[in-house]
Amino acid sequence: MLQKMRKILVTGSKRNSQEVVDVLYHAGTLHLEDVSNRIMEIKLEKWEPEIREEITALLVKIGGILLTLPDVKVDKGHRDQMYEEIYWMKYPDLIRRTHAALSELEHGVKDLSARKSDLGLALTALDRYEKTIRKIQSLEDQLPYLEGYEVSVLLIQKEFEALIPVIRHELMRITRNQCEMVVAGIDEDTIAAITVFNKRMSEEVHSFIFSKNVNEVRLPPEYMGMPFTEVLQHIEAKREGMRDQIREIDDELNTLSASRFEEISVLRDVLLDRSREIEAFDQFGQTGHFFMVMGWVPEIYLNTTRDALFSRFGNLVVVTELSLSRDDCEHAPTFYNNPRIVRPFEFLMQLVSPPKYNEIDPSPLLAFFFPLFFGLMVGDIGYGIVILIIALAVKMRFKDLDWAQSLMSIMIISAVPTIFFGYLFGEFFGDFGEMMGWIHPVHLFGVTWNRIEAMIPFLIFAIALGVIHIFLGLCLGIVNAARMRNKKHLCEKVGMLTAVTGIILVIAASAEFIPVILVSAGIIVLILAFPLLIYGGGAVAGPLEIMGTIGNILSYARIMAIGMASVILAMVANTLGGSMEVALLGVLVASLLHILNIALAMFSPSLHSVRLHVVECYSKFYEGGGNPYKPFKKKPEV
Amino acid sequence: MPDLGQSLGAALAIGLAAIGTAWAQSRIGVAGSGTIAENPELVGPVIIMEAIPETMVILGFVVAAMILML
Repeated sequence: MLQKMRKILVTGSKRNSQEVVDVLYHAGTLHLEDVSNRIMEIKLEKWEPEIREEITALLVKIGGILLTLPDVKVDKGHRDQMYEEIYWMKYPDLIRRTHAALSELEHGVKDLSARKSDLGLALTALDRYEKTIRKIQSLEDQLPYLEGYEVSVLLIQKEFEALIPVIRHELMRITRNQCEMVVAGIDEDTIAAITVFNKRMSEEVHSFIFSKNVNEVRLPPEYMGMPFTEVLQHIEAKREGMRDQIREIDDELNTLSASRFEEISVLRDVLLDRSREIEAFDQFGQTGHFFMVMGWVPEIYLNTTRDALFSRFGNLVVVTELSLSRDDCEHAPTFYNNPRIVRPFEFLMQLVSPPKYNEIDPSPLLAFFFPLFFGLMVGDIGYGIVILIIALAVKMRFKDLDWAQSLMSIMIISAVPTIFFGYLFGEFFGDFGEMMGWIHPVHLFGVTWNRIEAMIPFLIFAIALGVIHIFLGLCLGIVNAARMRNKKHLCEKVGMLTAVTGIILVIAASAEFIPVILVSAGIIVLILAFPLLIYGGGAVAGPLEIMGTIGNILSYARIMAIGMASVILAMVANTLGGSMEVALLGVLVASLLHILNIALAMFSPSLHSVRLHVVECYSKFYEGGGNPYKPFKKKPEV
Repeated sequence: MPDLGQSLGAALAIGLAAIGTAWAQSRIGVAGSGTIAENPELVGPVIIMEAIPETMVILGFVVAAMILML
């Protein structure tokens, strides 16, 4: 069921405009409509707040600080209180407070962050030196210690080994034969070429190495001439020192965070809210002295919205309820207002576009027939209980996931008819209950409802259910057409209803379910339907649509077919499990197959049940294309 | 025990219907994947579209079961 909507116009003095927007945003009930340029008698200008750029700049600064500050746990109550206090601040005060908070923090945090980043880089460099030295440590004995000579380590990939003689030759030429090169494999892929050359040629040598893009490891000058073991000790000591410094910086950041994180994060939230408010400003209008905000409010929230504005501004801000034209209703937002048991099924309604404001909301229909179809298809006490347990467990475990909550609520509701029909069909994990003598199919209306044996009665029942569902869809289509005052649609739906009634009369009378004389009555009804169908749907398409509707009705045979496939798989599980010589293995095999069947049972019947609604039934009355109600309010935090 | 004709009829009823459904679903699946890649919000309608050709194999199954059991 869709909630009645009211269109309101909020007007007031420009002095209060900002605060009115804050109140409306906080109330979160108004679906905004663009008022600028809409009211022709008064020239309205777009609202262009000047502080847009300033807020964006402040948000960028706060974002940077919050990235550096470690998260701390804050007391939610205290935080909410602070949010309330800051939210209602006027713009200049808010900006001033944000600047004050940032000026205290910005330099300190920036400095600490830069120092931490430098230390991190230095640690990375030390790691690199250490790795290189460890790689060439085994070559230490071969290195000559010569005054006035420089040592450079070139790392070359094995696949380029052939280049080493070329490099050696070139280095000899550059240093005029004052160069020595020792080559050794470091690992599977890398060769180290330790090069000793005269320091006077250093610039030319490094320039050559750089120009050839060779990976060169240059140790810091303080490590020159030092034995590698000692260098490694130095590196370790230096690294420890750096880690201590990083720890100190972290402590300082933690202290800063403990005292300022809450305020900064609240300021960020408030500024974000203001930024979102500003985004909506384009839809507001103003003249030299007053402003206007127009939008839709669900009837149930109308008084709340009025009260929120009145309690803050008294009579300075006026809320006017506008009368609705047909065109207004056509574009009004749709807001579901269903009983609790129907609400989870609104989730499935997302598969189609929302209904128009004037249309009938099909979610109650879905809430009734979905569990019925699901129950008929799965129809097993054991499966119903397992589905119920799984759904309850998932619902308890994932309380924050809206989609999981909705889907599992649907499963819980659907498990009830599953258990009921399981009792009717005498199924408990397929034929296991019957084999054990615990349960038997119920004998009702002259039929023993064993799904395998009562295939034809079950098929007739499924088709009959299809007839009811489609008839209901056509009736709703008639109501919708009457509401929209669409004569052609009305005639088409009435014609289709009449034609299908005629066909059913002919078939039922021919099969002698009803007196044979009704065949001619059925034909007359069918003929009567044709003019309506031709007027409503066209000379060819109208009557042809009868075939489509008959196809739609036959499609409900899937209720029986999927149900039968499910029960056969359950029986296969029991038979296969029972045929095992080792009892434990038999139980395992049967359990695995039943688990597979239950997983399929949760998915396939749901999909087909939805499909029967969306494809077969909704096509008889549903137009969709509505405008969902999106109130101007704080977006839920992710 | 069904005779050869019955078995063959049932096999054809379900087999041909299954081939038809598979072919249709493969085409819809390809187009659907492309659609979802372009616009992930359309996943719901694509799932519904994907389920549409299953009517054929379900009716094939019903016919096959009726051939064998009646």
